[in-house]
Amino acid sequence: MILRNFKKMDEAREFVLEEAKDDTGAKLGMWLFILSEILLFGGMFILYSAYRYKNPADFHHASEELDVILGTMNTLILLTSSLTMAVSISAIQKGKRKLSMVLLMATMVLGLLFLVNKGFEWGTKIEHGIYPNSTALLSRAKGEILFFGLYYVMTGLHGLHVFVGICVLSVMLAFLLREKINQTRFIPLENSGLYWHLVDIIWIFLYPLFYLIA
Amino acid sequence: MHPDEKPHLTKNRTYVYVWVALVILTGTTASVAGMDLGPWTVLIALCIAGTKSGLVLNYFMHLKSEKLTIFKVIIPLTLAVLVVFILLTFSDLAFRWGGGK
Repeated sequence: MILRNFKKMDEAREFVLEEAKDDTGAKLGMWLFILSEILLFGGMFILYSAYRYKNPADFHHASEELDVILGTMNTLILLTSSLTMAVSISAIQKGKRKLSMVLLMATMVLGLLFLVNKGFEWGTKIEHGIYPNSTALLSRAKGEILFFGLYYVMTGLHGLHVFVGICVLSVMLAFLLREKINQTRFIPLENSGLYWHLVDIIWIFLYPLFYLIA
Repeated sequence: MHPDEKPHLTKNRTYVYVWVALVILTGTTASVAGMDLGPWTVLIALCIAGTKSGLVLNYFMHLKSEKLTIFKVIIPLTLAVLVVFILLTFSDLAFRWGGGK
């Protein structure tokens, strides 16, 4: 008796969820969040351009020390992860759950690879004594101190976004596994994809501005 | 989305083409950076980055196939706000008393 009532409650809940589903609203919410993220990073890009305008030569010298090959590799990694993400969403829309999960895992692995590369990059810099407030850095020209400060803050905040993205995607993977995300209900996955692509776009701007100005 | 309405599906082939274009643009921006084009270098780098973002927004993020106007205006609106901030910051930097020291 009680069990049957529970089942009914479950069905009723499913029904309410289905009725209350508002895909456009959910997506709009995600886009508003993306808007705020663009303004957050936009502020930092303005700070970067103002300091670069004031110290063009120092920025130029400091940029020479960044590893262009690692930076380019990370760009290609993120671009590819965007591709696997997009195809993963279109796979679930076609009802191909397994393919969707494999592609989602590929996206997460690429994201982790990006962070590992970033870790190596930061590691080498820190080994050379270049990190915020280090004596080696503080003895340099003002513009170079600013460049490396911006480098650590902006790539750091971006890396944090990649990390959060991987966490969100792992939750989506669990949803896919339990079929909470399926052919008819895929908006959470699509919104996570929007976030992942945003992180890619931010890197598209970080890459030339930090690695390619030497 | 209306329950009867099918979600817009982009062909996998299109996604792969977009990815190829993004990789080619990355190669372009990396090689242009090696040339000495003076002030044009930054402009070209930003144009390429803008094009790449446009591709990601329109195809990967499906802005191209969104039908509601609000989705179409969100990005231009954000960029307009940023442009105002940039203009205000640089007008301050350029005309500050004492040459902006």
